[in-house]
Amino acid sequence: MRRWARREDERLLTGRGRYVADIRVPGCLDAVFVRSGVAHGVLREVDCTAAREVPGVAGAWSAADLMDLPACPHAAGDLQDLPPVPRTVAVGLSPEEAVAGREWPVLVKDRVRYPGEAVAVVLGEDRYRAEDGAAEVTFRIDPLPAVVTPSAAAEDSVRLFDGLSNIAFEGSAGRPIDEAVLQGAAVVVEARYRQQLLMPTPMECRTFLAVPEADRLTVWAGHQMPHRLRRELAALLEWPPDRVRVVVPDTGGAFGSKSALFPEYVAVAFLAVRLGRPVRWIEDRLESMLVATRGRGQDQRVRLAADAEGRLLAYELTIDADVGAYPHLAVGLPMQTAWMATGPYTTPQVRATLRSVLTNTMVTYPYRGAGRPEATVALERSMDALAHRLGLDPAELRRRNLIPPASFPYRTPTGRCYDSGNYAAALDLALTTLDYDGWRAERARRRADPAALPLGIGLACYVERSGGEPGGLHEFGGVEAREDGTVVARSGTSSSGQSHETVFPALVARTLGVDEARVRLAEGDTGEQPQGVGSFASRSAQVAGAMLVHACALLVGRARERAAGLWEVPVGEVAWCDGAVHAGPAVMDLAELVKLTGPLRVDDRFAAGMAFPFGAHAAVAEVDPELGTVRVLRLVAVDDCGTVLDPVVVRGQAFGSAVQGIGQALYEGFAFGEDGVPLLAGALLDYLLPTDAEVPPIEIRDTRTPSPGTPLGAKGAGESGCIGTPAAIVNAVADALRIADPGLLGTPLTPETVWRAARAPKLPERPV
Amino acid sequence: MRITVRVNDREYRLDVEPRRILADVLREDCGLTGTHLGCEHGVCGACTVLVDGAAVRSCLMLAVQCDGGAVRTVEGLAGRDGEPHPLQRAFSAEHALQCGFCTPGFLMAAAGALEADPAVGEDPERVAALAGSGICRCTGYEPIRRAITRAAREWPRPAT
Ligand code: FES
Ligand code: FES
Repeated sequence: MRRWARREDERLLTGRGRYVADIRVPGCLDAVFVRSGVAHGVLREVDCTAAREVPGVAGAWSAADLMDLPACPHAAGDLQDLPPVPRTVAVGLSPEEAVAGREWPVLVKDRVRYPGEAVAVVLGEDRYRAEDGAAEVTFRIDPLPAVVTPSAAAEDSVRLFDGLSNIAFEGSAGRPIDEAVLQGAAVVVEARYRQQLLMPTPMECRTFLAVPEADRLTVWAGHQMPHRLRRELAALLEWPPDRVRVVVPDTGGAFGSKSALFPEYVAVAFLAVRLGRPVRWIEDRLESMLVATRGRGQDQRVRLAADAEGRLLAYELTIDADVGAYPHLAVGLPMQTAWMATGPYTTPQVRATLRSVLTNTMVTYPYRGAGRPEATVALERSMDALAHRLGLDPAELRRRNLIPPASFPYRTPTGRCYDSGNYAAALDLALTTLDYDGWRAERARRRADPAALPLGIGLACYVERSGGEPGGLHEFGGVEAREDGTVVARSGTSSSGQSHETVFPALVARTLGVDEARVRLAEGDTGEQPQGVGSFASRSAQVAGAMLVHACALLVGRARERAAGLWEVPVGEVAWCDGAVHAGPAVMDLAELVKLTGPLRVDDRFAAGMAFPFGAHAAVAEVDPELGTVRVLRLVAVDDCGTVLDPVVVRGQAFGSAVQGIGQALYEGFAFGEDGVPLLAGALLDYLLPTDAEVPPIEIRDTRTPSPGTPLGAKGAGESGCIGTPAAIVNAVADALRIADPGLLGTPLTPETVWRAARAPKLPERPV
Repeated sequence: MRITVRVNDREYRLDVEPRRILADVLREDCGLTGTHLGCEHGVCGACTVLVDGAAVRSCLMLAVQCDGGAVRTVEGLAGRDGEPHPLQRAFSAEHALQCGFCTPGFLMAAAGALEADPAVGEDPERVAALAGSGICRCTGYEPIRRAITRAAREWPRPAT
């Protein structure tokens, strides 16, 4: 047996991992930000004078102070001001119209728009000294009323930007529903759902270390998109990109929260360059809970219509999405929900409309699932409600409507083209794995027994999108064979716990037919791999995996050509097998070939098609109506992510993802005070992440329907639990309580919410 | 303030400000960055180390409180010959880590418990208590439970 299951393991298990905060750079200053305690207000004054007197403080600046800083030669152009935080230009996620006039300053200039927004930055010889300094910064903010939900903010009675609406964007997918269809339907489920704001909460908060050297800058950051970070930093500094190098060392989780350039990064990079000294920002948890990105945040309304046999006729989804205080990526992100509104069903008419609305909260950003959980939760909760209304078994209702395998590629009314699938097979596997019939019997038994706690079964079928949107479905990288017999695989992706270092070399080794131990991965360093897109949207295996397979094929082609030249035979007579070229009796392995013919390296760009992973999750939950508590007794997650590169790694991600899904359904969320400030003074004691005690027996199974979008056939993995699990759990609770209005169960299902729902009007009794 | 601490069987004479937490002193003054900070308020457990054999949150303890004491961190887990600790082997075998950020804390909490009483591994409730002593955002804990049980099975038994 190999000593370590993954290549990452040895260093991570012996304390020799290297996360950004572990990197020692002599003379490095620590940055601490002075943050607003109010959600919305007018900044009247900031005074950093006293902070500068504190021993060990190297400097302290407000936005106004930074403007006074003299421009220094060769550094940061002649900028007299910090540029605003760049928007996400990729695939129209933050369109120019939405951003115009609503720029996100790095430090507050005149108006605070979210709690925790930074009003000053202090640099100290270490974190203790920087915090001493920060404590001496004084500032005054005149509070304004705050709006914290998109529905409230959409009224524009409080505006974040004077003279501009809070509605930053409106969009839609699908044609308007024909009202006659709704009127003629046997049943129309109408409901409202709130998808609460969630915090991605990787165990390592954000990190950013900027080390200037001569006219260059090296940045170390836990990050999902190092090339984007380099490009944006270089643009802000008005430098050519090759003067900036971004390195991503070990990264302690990301889940979507580490792919942007944040205000703090801009401040740190500029100060490092201006002062000519290394500066780092190691975000702490309290700070993170105030100002790290949030995910989800939608107020939804649905209408789902079916005929008496349970055939879906029409589905309408209306979304007010929370953008946060500045229009960033979250402006366009809810389109993901709109495009995926059709779900896995053959519904002929589907329409989704959305408004992206500014609120006085930190910006919304992708969090594991990113727009797809919102689509799945709304549809699947409505499906269960529909089944109850029709007196149909929820599994049977779904079966009648799932897109059949022969219909792929399937064009949805909301503009997606699903690549491949066997949705019913996933549902069937979930039901048998769960022992659906056994639990139905148990549910019936408990319903007949007034002393028994009610039990419910919840289902969720989902289809999601992985890889990214057109224009972002490619990856850069390549393979290189070296004289010493080793092979270097290069990829523009970046790992934050997904085992790339193990999985990609294994894939390349398999593809080339060489010994795995000879292959190593170069990733997460723009100095080693100059171009890249990154790791988000479950794209690494699907897109970068396919890119590596493609690069291997190119390498093999070149090797055969070279061998043909050496041996003076036609290329057609040179075969490739087990990492060597063969022609008749002649055999030569890669290392020898490179020795004789010179370096052999392939670099390329490869584009994949969009892929649509899918699956079915099922949960059994027991509810105590007196205490309002929910106990999940069993969870089954069946996922199909096409070709699987490493089943154990994929299973691990599916499991962890399901636990995050449990968190979303039952525990994670936060309330706001009257003043719009989140009630999170107890930090992780107020924002409840699932611990081991909350993990029920979970069974992860898979079906494998390859994607036709690449020769490799892999679809994205790892987000499924956040997509399928929350709806399954909420449905189980709704089933246990038999409530008539599904919208009453707002997530997270706190004891109070469940207790109240338990007292709400019930569904009429029906044999199910 | 001058203190003397044995860390992983090596003596460190340090001059530390009384307000510095143990985790910072281990990471910065001793250069032992295997101990991670995930919350700095005692909840996540990433910073767990052994002080005189007992698991403590090193973000909640001042370094000066350890004067004269013995601290063990994840860097001191492997044997002198570099042979991996049963927990290290088991965590890898069971895929009980993904990003690895929480891992040192779980390793040290489990090491403290198993070293005090290897029978912990036979009791699912005590294993669950160890897996429940910290926060892991990646694995969903089940692999951590399995790893602790597996390490206990492979625990060197005193010769009888
Ligand atoms: S860092 Fe000490 S418990 Fe979280
Ligand atoms: S392995 Fe990432 S937090 Fe536990």
